[in-house]
Amino acid sequence: MIKDITIGQFIPGNSLIHRLDPRTKIISSIIYIIILFLAESFWEYLFLGLFTLSMIIISQVPLKFVLKGIKPLLLIIIFTLVLHAFLNTGTVIWEWGPFALTYEGIRLGLIMAFRLILLVVATSLLTLTTSPIALTDGIERLLSPFRRFGVPAHELAMMMTIALRFIPTLLEETEKIMKAQMARGADFESGNLIQRGKNMIPLLVPLFINAFRRADELAMAMEARCYRGGDNRTRMKQLKITSLDYFGYLTIAIVAAIVFII
Amino acid sequence: MSSYELKVGKKAKPIQKVAKIAVLAVVGFVLQMFEFPIPIFPSFLQLDFSDLPAIIGSFAMGPVAGIIIQLVKNLLHLVFKSQTAGVGELANFITGASYVLFAGIVYQFNKTKKGAIIAMIGGSLFMTLVVSLCDYYFLFPMFAKALNFPLDAIVGMASALNPYVVDMKTAIIYSVVPFNLLKGVIISLITFAVYKRVSSILH
Repeated sequence: MIKDITIGQFIPGNSLIHRLDPRTKIISSIIYIIILFLAESFWEYLFLGLFTLSMIIISQVPLKFVLKGIKPLLLIIIFTLVLHAFLNTGTVIWEWGPFALTYEGIRLGLIMAFRLILLVVATSLLTLTTSPIALTDGIERLLSPFRRFGVPAHELAMMMTIALRFIPTLLEETEKIMKAQMARGADFESGNLIQRGKNMIPLLVPLFINAFRRADELAMAMEARCYRGGDNRTRMKQLKITSLDYFGYLTIAIVAAIVFII
Repeated sequence: MSSYELKVGKKAKPIQKVAKIAVLAVVGFVLQMFEFPIPIFPSFLQLDFSDLPAIIGSFAMGPVAGIIIQLVKNLLHLVFKSQTAGVGELANFITGASYVLFAGIVYQFNKTKKGAIIAMIGGSLFMTLVVSLCDYYFLFPMFAKALNFPLDAIVGMASALNPYVVDMKTAIIYSVVPFNLLKGVIISLITFAVYKRVSSILH
């Protein structure tokens, strides 16, 4: 059950996209998603599609990994396409009982399917080219102006960092506990809802106890090394805005301008 | 075990809270991978136990801790496994946070077995209410607008399957409401079974 879970999507590299500051990438992705929702015509989507494709090529991420993100959504994409094709009024191409396939419907369906695909590709490009740690750093820095309103930016980032470090550990631990309990006759994969819920208890209790013990040990280790919150903390990797980032913002601004003009 | 005995009677330090919240969020993230479909509901409504750590956290450390656990869990999911560009995570966060908020506040004032039962029943009801309102006024219209879906047509299809469904309100009453009530009941039952066995180590 756990074996087929691949953790993390990040593909290390040294392309222009990889070298962008995580803050730039997060902000650009958000702007790009907004652009995607504002675009409506066929030509706008052709342009955005070409732009996304060129970003994938520049990032040097194999196309295979980008397309993998679309696979789970395939059903929704097909559903969108079919629903639009049959539910719109316009020039009828083909008729079967109450269902009428219209030209306008197919066009709208294709545009919406394309919107979905580009949305997924854009977000997965962000996680494919930015390591989780860099993303966390970026989020912390983006949230830090809100600290004065009570947003615990540093604590949140620290929790994310700790969580990132413990994901592989706890996954392994879960698998170990499952195997141990299965050896004692536990069954995690059959039975009705109530039984399945009940069967989870022998997994949950040791998992929680284990997790708390690790949290405790970690807290003690951090205290022993004089951790005292975010103030005056120094970092090994400083985030720096370079000319490359200004170039990134300029690119996304040009894309937005072109979509508005078309 | 000596480290736990040493701590007895002392107030937890902030870093201990931070570490516990982080680790509970990871447990939630791990549990989110074991989702299974419920027989009568459509396949995209899947049940998982990822809310469990947040509930336990909110019982032990207060409602705010519970909400942060939900937040970190969904951020992790967003970074690692997002398939819906954040919409699924947002919905999961709203659902989980509303349960945890209500249950955490009630349990804070009445830390008994009876208090826990009231907290969990109230939490389930509150969660169902918040999710239904959110779906009706916010998520469904947003989803429909994003994909340009004609909502009436979808409701029409649903009413072919179930004659009681006549508009979006009834569509929600016949799908979202029973699913979330069932989810609330199952999660409450398991929390009840697990909490006492682990709470001694959490305080």
